[in-house]
Amino acid sequence: MAMAYNFHIIEDCLKCTVREQRLFCDLSREALIRLQNIKATSVYPKGAMLCLEGQPPRGVFILCTGKAKLSTTSSEGKSMILRIAEPGEVLGLTAAVSGTPYEATVETLEPSQANFIAQTDFVHFLREHPDVGLRVAKQLTHNCKCAYDEVRSLGLSNSVPEKLAKLILRWAENPLDLPVKKPNETPLRVTLTQEEIAQFIGTSRETVSRVLANFRKKGWVRVKGATWTILNRRALENLVTT
Amino acid sequence: MQSEAANELYDMLAPELRAELARFEQLRIVPAGTHLITCGVPPEHLVIVNAGTVEITLDCRSRNTASLGYSGAGKVFGMRALVSGELPEIDVICLESCSITTVPRDVFLSLLKNNPQAYFAVAKVLSSDLQIADRILRGNTRRCGVGPRPRPAKTV
Repeated sequence: MAMAYNFHIIEDCLKCTVREQRLFCDLSREALIRLQNIKATSVYPKGAMLCLEGQPPRGVFILCTGKAKLSTTSSEGKSMILRIAEPGEVLGLTAAVSGTPYEATVETLEPSQANFIAQTDFVHFLREHPDVGLRVAKQLTHNCKCAYDEVRSLGLSNSVPEKLAKLILRWAENPLDLPVKKPNETPLRVTLTQEEIAQFIGTSRETVSRVLANFRKKGWVRVKGATWTILNRRALENLVTT
Repeated sequence: MQSEAANELYDMLAPELRAELARFEQLRIVPAGTHLITCGVPPEHLVIVNAGTVEITLDCRSRNTASLGYSGAGKVFGMRALVSGELPEIDVICLESCSITTVPRDVFLSLLKNNPQAYFAVAKVLSSDLQIADRILRGNTRRCGVGPRPRPAKTV
């Protein structure tokens, strides 16, 4: 199996051992064979742009390995992150299905593998295979839920500490599998810069830096490079609910 | 009975599937204030707005409600909840008397099961819902709510 960066490249979807855990990829054998024929596998470095907001849709990307951020430009001209895509997600789906320009810019946050499917091939694939339709509906439902959560979070959180606490708690839903000093500690891998976190919660980098420093000073989180550890989950949760 | 106006679902369905759904459709006129979709309540029907204006709001758990915008003729509601089995997160309320067409949930799900090619139409509707939410995020990240409320169309 070929390797790139620090991961194995999954070239054959039929042999992928993690597809059952993925939002889109758990398809029938017939659909996987078809997928294998229409997809083009590529490996991207960190910071690669898969598609640009406003660009006519060329197709979709199935993220196999790595993470990507979906960002857009607000009406005030500010860059803002809509969400972080995880492996198994289909990117550019809305544009490909509806034939409208890409709604967001997709940029890899770490070295990633993505399978590209041209728009016409994808639409045929969707029409021909019932399970693909079902998976697409599930993906769109998931995306819609994420967008509603963002509207709630960005629009109605009162303060930056509350927004940052919400974001950290959301990341904590997928903790790192690392040894911890105390049982209630939760380690996380944070690949976003403070500037990107600011774009995520609609504030400035300076404010994120100040609020995070305050969290650290209070002993709520520990930051060591890209590894953050939640030390006092209750304190963060209280911030969100008050 | 066939729904009065073109809509985002039927526009993408094959004629024979539209005809099949039409056998079970109910055309109704509902007064202003009617909840077409209620947050947290599983919808019994797919709802197609033929005429009139509705407001889409997002429940924000004990805080003020966020308006996702206004919609009207051609919009389909309840699709996400029907397809995913999840409870609706939005409320859809008629701002004026509205003409709607309803399709019973079981009829629609049965049609999907027997005609999976209809998922493409479903994907179109869900994409449109997602675009509404994304527009809100792009346009207004702090205050929630969108542009001016439209002038009510002619009362049905």
